[in-house]
Amino acid sequence: MRNLWLIVQREFLEKIKSRSFILTAFFGPILLLALLFFLFKFGDSGKKHWDVLVTDPTGVFEGKMLPNQDNAVSYFFLEDYVEMEEFRDAKMYQKFDALVEINEKVLTNKTAFVFYRQKPSLKLQTKIQYQSERRLEEIMVKRFTKLPLSSFRKIKQPLNVAFRNVYDPYDESSDVRGWVGYFYGLLIIGFVFLYGMTILRSVSQEKSNRIIEIVLGSVSPRKLMAGKIIGIGITAIIQLIIWILIVAVGLFIMREFLFQNSLNLSSMVTVQMTEQVKNTSLLDQLLQGNEQNDFLNLIYERIQFGTMNFYFVLFFFASYLFYGAFFTAIGATAGSESDGQQFIIPILLLLVFSAYSGYYCLNNPTSNLAQFFQYFPFTAPVVAMVKLALGYEPGTVYQLYLSLLSLLVSAFITLSIAGRLYGNGVLQFGHRIRLSLIIRWLKRK
Amino acid sequence: MIEIQHLTKSYNRKVALDQVSLTIPTGQIVGLLGPNGAGKTTLIRILNQIILPDSGHIRFFGDVMKHKHLDQVGYLPEERGLYRTMTVEEHAYFLGQLKGLTKKEVRSHLEYWLDKFEISSWKSKRIEELSKGMAQKVQLIFTVLHEPKLLILDEPLSGFDPLNVELIKKELSNLKAKGTTIILSTHNMKSVEEICDFAYLIDGGKVVSSGSVSALQEAKKEGIFAIKFSGNMIAFVTALWTDFELVEKEILNENRFLVHVKMRGDAGFEDLLKVLIGQVKIEAAWEVLPSMHDVFIQTISAREEAANA
Repeated sequence: MRNLWLIVQREFLEKIKSRSFILTAFFGPILLLALLFFLFKFGDSGKKHWDVLVTDPTGVFEGKMLPNQDNAVSYFFLEDYVEMEEFRDAKMYQKFDALVEINEKVLTNKTAFVFYRQKPSLKLQTKIQYQSERRLEEIMVKRFTKLPLSSFRKIKQPLNVAFRNVYDPYDESSDVRGWVGYFYGLLIIGFVFLYGMTILRSVSQEKSNRIIEIVLGSVSPRKLMAGKIIGIGITAIIQLIIWILIVAVGLFIMREFLFQNSLNLSSMVTVQMTEQVKNTSLLDQLLQGNEQNDFLNLIYERIQFGTMNFYFVLFFFASYLFYGAFFTAIGATAGSESDGQQFIIPILLLLVFSAYSGYYCLNNPTSNLAQFFQYFPFTAPVVAMVKLALGYEPGTVYQLYLSLLSLLVSAFITLSIAGRLYGNGVLQFGHRIRLSLIIRWLKRK
Repeated sequence: MIEIQHLTKSYNRKVALDQVSLTIPTGQIVGLLGPNGAGKTTLIRILNQIILPDSGHIRFFGDVMKHKHLDQVGYLPEERGLYRTMTVEEHAYFLGQLKGLTKKEVRSHLEYWLDKFEISSWKSKRIEELSKGMAQKVQLIFTVLHEPKLLILDEPLSGFDPLNVELIKKELSNLKAKGTTIILSTHNMKSVEEICDFAYLIDGGKVVSSGSVSALQEAKKEGIFAIKFSGNMIAFVTALWTDFELVEKEILNENRFLVHVKMRGDAGFEDLLKVLIGQVKIEAAWEVLPSMHDVFIQTISAREEAANA
């Protein structure tokens, strides 16, 4: 155990002190944060502020739409008719993004047209519609009832009809969340490749600079291999933790200082729609805010980072062991560093296939093939993360544990095979890898 | 004492070691000689427990050798290698601790050896900053850092300049004096003559000859004597007549010579001296033993001839 620990320590210290580790550990998450920042900043639905011209020839709206200023929409009134073509082409109307046409019979036909230059987001459409309705409501209450507006609104009780999935009543799972799982899966694949290559390079370099023979004079090949995989694995886990911490701190800073307004809004969006209809003051507040950013909402409100990160680390570790065995075997059996490089391609193809399987599962989560991919060790990490993000139906969460178990058992088998190849191949130099040679080494104890 | 008994090792029907038995006496320097592919590296790897024999075993100072004994073995392989980005000190801690030393012991032993070789300033240098010769010197230090009872050195002198060769030889003698048993695998026959007490000649996976260095030389001697004399060369050759044969001649100056003479028939050294006295002035005379180089070549060539016959 003493020597195993020394090997682990050496591998760990060497990797953690290397420039590439520092670069990947710190610049990787910063790049990711930069990407997220751009998605938050520019991932909204379009133009931030709309200038809307309201043509109201009979002055029904009395030149007024809102009691207070709205950050997203400004209304300008004109007591005249403006044709659509005129609005489109006339120089004087170019500064307006949309035209709301209030006709003289609006109180009876309850119809208004909105002409736009660029299609407003669904949110903005709802906002313009809602604000126009509310203004019309004010006018109608004033003209046709003796009630004060506040009393009218108290008695106005719409019927709330909410459609809910029996397995997902709060609509927690969705395709968007599946994509987050897929992203986690791709991160696993990326990290496995990165650290698999680190194992391969480490084994090849020890072979090529011949230190291997000195170390083997003190520790057994299996211990050396185990120490190497564990040492590099710890480095990888630490790097993952650094990533998670930096990204978490970055997301916190962005939420508190950069996207505070957007998030106040988006947190309200998550409240069920029925409540919005019921509680008009909430909808009022809601529509006072800026344009909603779905991506922002997704990141801050809808992902269970705790669960995702926990399984992410577990699946990463298991798949690192599984794929790491292949990289170790290639490094140990190759006659030279360049010889080993050629054999990365099949592993790379398997990793790409694994990434594809996640995409397939995203689109066909309940298919038989997706089920198979979930337990197939090459594809399990990505598919399990996608399925986890989509959410397991009650009573099926065992599939997640089974997927992890299948990966761990496969890792144990591949590591045993890699151990034998390592023991027999690591002291062989200058040959070309042949299948017959590998079979021979596999047979030799 | 290290006793190697009936070691056999094959790689895919190719026999690398065939019933090899040999004894390495405690506190002696034993040369392991043989052509490339003779099985020396396989034997050394088995001694280091890097590979396991198909049959046979090793007794390590009385015990059946196991992995735990490796803490008492120092191994310098022929193909030198160290981690390029690690410093000399980091390396010493890593390799020293692998051999069971504490950090404190590594520190004091490293300082002792660096001072001895006058290279204390290298302690913080990374291996990639050292020249090949410097790295080899450092690697030798790492091999002896844990004061092993058995030291296995594969071509320890290759790559060193003559000054360092002398330094290493001196240190090997010092280690031997302290009781360290040393196995020296080398093709440098001169060093075998100079520092080895005993030698094993291995070929084709078998021990083909063994004994003390002087005994091996003695066994291959051809009855050649060296005579250093002053006088007339013609008179010298005439005196030899038919009982002796002049095999080599070196002119030292105008009338001084060093010659090698081979005996014929039953003639002995005394007979040679008798015929020469009065003809030339003999300054010195001695029996010429074959070098270990000659012993090696003669032994291996004889085996090859026998195999071809």
